[in-house]
Amino acid sequence: MNRSGRLFLFVALLIALMGIISIYSGTFQKQSGAFEGIYLRQALWVALGIAAFFFVSRMNYRLLWDATYFLYAGMVFLLLLVFMMGIVKLGAQRWLRLGLLSFQPSEAAKLVMVIFLAKYFSDKSADSISPAAQKFGLLRAVFIPLAFVIAPAALIIEQPDLGSGLLVLILFMCMLYLSGIKLRYPLSLTAAALLMLPVGWHFLHGYQKDRIMVFLNPSIDPLGAGYTIIQSRIAVGSGGLIGKGWLSGTQSQLHFLPESHTDFIFATFAEEWGFAGCLALLSLYYLIIREGIRISSQTGDAFGRLLAAGISIMLFVQVMVNIAMNMGLAPVVGVPLPLMSYGGTSVLVTCISLGILANISRSRAAY
Amino acid sequence: MPTVKRFTLLKCLFYAGFFVLALSLAGMQLFQGAKFGELSKKNCIKLLPQPGARGRIIDRNGTVLAGNVLSYDVMVLPQKNVQLENILRRIAPVLHSTVKELRSNFTRGVVAPFIPVAVARNISLQQAIAIEEIKMDTPGVIVQPHPVRFYPEGKLAAHVLGYLNEIDHWRLSKLAEYGYTEKDTVGYSGVEEKYDYYLQPSEGGVSVEVDHRGRVSRIIGFKPPVNGRDIQLTLDSGIQRIAEQALAGRKGCVVIIEPQSGEILALASSPTFDPQAFVSKDTEALRSFLQDNGGVFLNRAIGGAYAPGSVFKLVTAAAALETGKTDYGKIIDCRGSLKLGKEEFNCSSVHGLQDLKHAIAHSCNIYFYNMGILLGGQTIHDYALKFGYGRNSGVELPYETPGVVPEPLWKRIYKLKRWFDGDSVNFSIGQGDLLVTPLQVARMMAVFANGGHLVSPYIVKSIDGVDPRAGRYKRPVKVPVSGEHLAYLRGALRMVVSEDTGTAHVLSGLPVTIAGKTGTAQATGGKCHAWFCGFFPYDNPRYVICSFLENGGSGYQSSLMTREIIVEMANKGMI
Repeated sequence: MNRSGRLFLFVALLIALMGIISIYSGTFQKQSGAFEGIYLRQALWVALGIAAFFFVSRMNYRLLWDATYFLYAGMVFLLLLVFMMGIVKLGAQRWLRLGLLSFQPSEAAKLVMVIFLAKYFSDKSADSISPAAQKFGLLRAVFIPLAFVIAPAALIIEQPDLGSGLLVLILFMCMLYLSGIKLRYPLSLTAAALLMLPVGWHFLHGYQKDRIMVFLNPSIDPLGAGYTIIQSRIAVGSGGLIGKGWLSGTQSQLHFLPESHTDFIFATFAEEWGFAGCLALLSLYYLIIREGIRISSQTGDAFGRLLAAGISIMLFVQVMVNIAMNMGLAPVVGVPLPLMSYGGTSVLVTCISLGILANISRSRAAY
Repeated sequence: MPTVKRFTLLKCLFYAGFFVLALSLAGMQLFQGAKFGELSKKNCIKLLPQPGARGRIIDRNGTVLAGNVLSYDVMVLPQKNVQLENILRRIAPVLHSTVKELRSNFTRGVVAPFIPVAVARNISLQQAIAIEEIKMDTPGVIVQPHPVRFYPEGKLAAHVLGYLNEIDHWRLSKLAEYGYTEKDTVGYSGVEEKYDYYLQPSEGGVSVEVDHRGRVSRIIGFKPPVNGRDIQLTLDSGIQRIAEQALAGRKGCVVIIEPQSGEILALASSPTFDPQAFVSKDTEALRSFLQDNGGVFLNRAIGGAYAPGSVFKLVTAAAALETGKTDYGKIIDCRGSLKLGKEEFNCSSVHGLQDLKHAIAHSCNIYFYNMGILLGGQTIHDYALKFGYGRNSGVELPYETPGVVPEPLWKRIYKLKRWFDGDSVNFSIGQGDLLVTPLQVARMMAVFANGGHLVSPYIVKSIDGVDPRAGRYKRPVKVPVSGEHLAYLRGALRMVVSEDTGTAHVLSGLPVTIAGKTGTAQATGGKCHAWFCGFFPYDNPRYVICSFLENGGSGYQSSLMTREIIVEMANKGMI
């Protein structure tokens, strides 16, 4: 394993450790039933993730090129399966039961879409060694990939999981931009998407509309939809410089903060470890994502280059949106904080993503 | 290659994103950290209040006029209300109540799960003990003792004490900045209102940490409640009781003060009310107070302004002597009436030749009519003010009225009329527009009793053992009437009682020598106001008494009431 691989492993382990500590704290007072030993389950997932990291980082990423369509088909199949027979938790149908564990296909869909788009835009034309994407017309540059993206995105949004669905769409836009196609395509697509916003508003669920409304003004419904934002802001803000100490955060320990071990794990962490802890955590994410971008920009292979960029963007957007949402700077959408939030699929997918990055870095070095 | 440029943009976004996040985190956690810290504390730290006892009000001998007794409330904790029905079914028979009523009390009272809800208030000690036994096997029931006002002497001195009630909007708007809040119990009228700030207990309580459902997760600390300060009055409950019994429910009042210091020994007003009714929320009694048009809440001794009638002649006499309009030897012939222009002013009878002494003893109007014409309205007004009329006496009770002392300018302004000699005539015998309070009359009488000083009557002896006047003691003001004239008038006051024809002769023959002046003031609508104001013992005055009966007939009635009071005081060995 090269330097990048060791960095990923080390930093990912540190973040995951912080995550487990915070999950322990977030569920410390809820020692009953479903929350019993939940941090151990997360530890198990992290262990599984590390194993997957080692496995993926040793497996040539070009294999993904070949497997792209299988992965895509498998993903759509799983999403349909969720649609038909998923488990309903917290009012959303997002999980598939696999024996003792549950699996969240929408998390995996993010990575699969990155792989799919990386392959699509790095296809070489027969007469050239450079990617064909630069010469794509409107149909091949926008409409065909859009069709491939819209299908899973719609299934995810329908679950409903607005956060992951929008993430897939954002990834699409970013990769479209990075693929080197004519600039007017992504620009006009963005413009079209903005024009569609008022239409999209009508397709949102009532609670999703509420969340956006309370994001704009949390005080309109302080005990309902605005409650989470207000309590989360209080949790983050009251952490101060060095925090209230582990297991001593009143917001999370006394359950004022909902979802203190999943989407709002950052608030739990921020309350107990303060600005110092948050800065450390942000630095760790910064290290990982910067390394991802560096790998991407130094890779000659178009597929690897786009793949590394896509993975970096995927991690970056999730970190940004989740932390911003914890601080009340973004509406509440279900986006986990990679490696921190409780959730097996998310941990596993993040570890695999980092494994792919490590492998791209290693393979490039071998050229 | 275009993608290189595009990568640069991506990197910029990436740096910017982390920079903005770190910056907002610093803003929230470092710069607004204290604010959010407060908010998080407010979220989870709540106070379970524990009331302290209101300060007591005691008389000069230590007899408790307004104290406290422990009352018991039955509370149910909402968080253990799984057994609510069971609890209510068991406690209902003890409280002589129904499950339905208790349940509705409970549902109305729920505020938060950490605050126990009162399902029944002010239960008896026996009931409290019975419920304590039920508590053994049904958790969630609390019997909370808390002090409530109790008046061991019943209605005694109710007007001086005032009563307690929930704070009203007007008082709240006035007192909010002194820490009063809604639902506070505050004093209404009397010492309870005037000294509410001192009497108020400061609430203590247990501060607890609660979770988002309001369940108590731990106890942080306990702050014991602090009782309000005790107030000792100058009242003597023995004399007060005698005075109230003498009034016997008639409209009127009795004021007894100590002539040297101005200490108020008794301040009885009638009809009266039972302050306990406000504590026990006795709706029947409260309604009867409200429907009574006799003015039960009016403290007539300080809040009622009446025509003084002949007791005011002392002011006219003093003014006439001081200004030289009369002397000891001047004699005026009383023919029973005085004709002034078209109007005829009457006397109570035909007194014949009268000097000033006898004019006072017989309360001859004709003599004073002449004095009034000689003095003029302005001079009488000036002397009335010197004797303390026309302004508040400064007693520490709310809702004191200054009364009215007319003068020519006053009449111009308020009545838009000239001042005629007829006005001076009426003024000289305490009629017309003149209005005074019984306390002012007693204060005037104290001048003759103590050798010429206008005292400031007061009723609060000490607050928590400390004299509130210490350091800013108001010395009695020397009234500008010569000692010789005072002694002369003092003798005339004695003659009112000692002469066979004196208007208060009924007061002679008592074990104590009394001097004083009667008054029969014509009042609009109904009978005359009956006054007697005097002091005793004559040689060494210790008491000034002012007996007043509103529409009570002639001054004779008041003299009779005074006699009753003095006899009773003598019987009890107080004199």
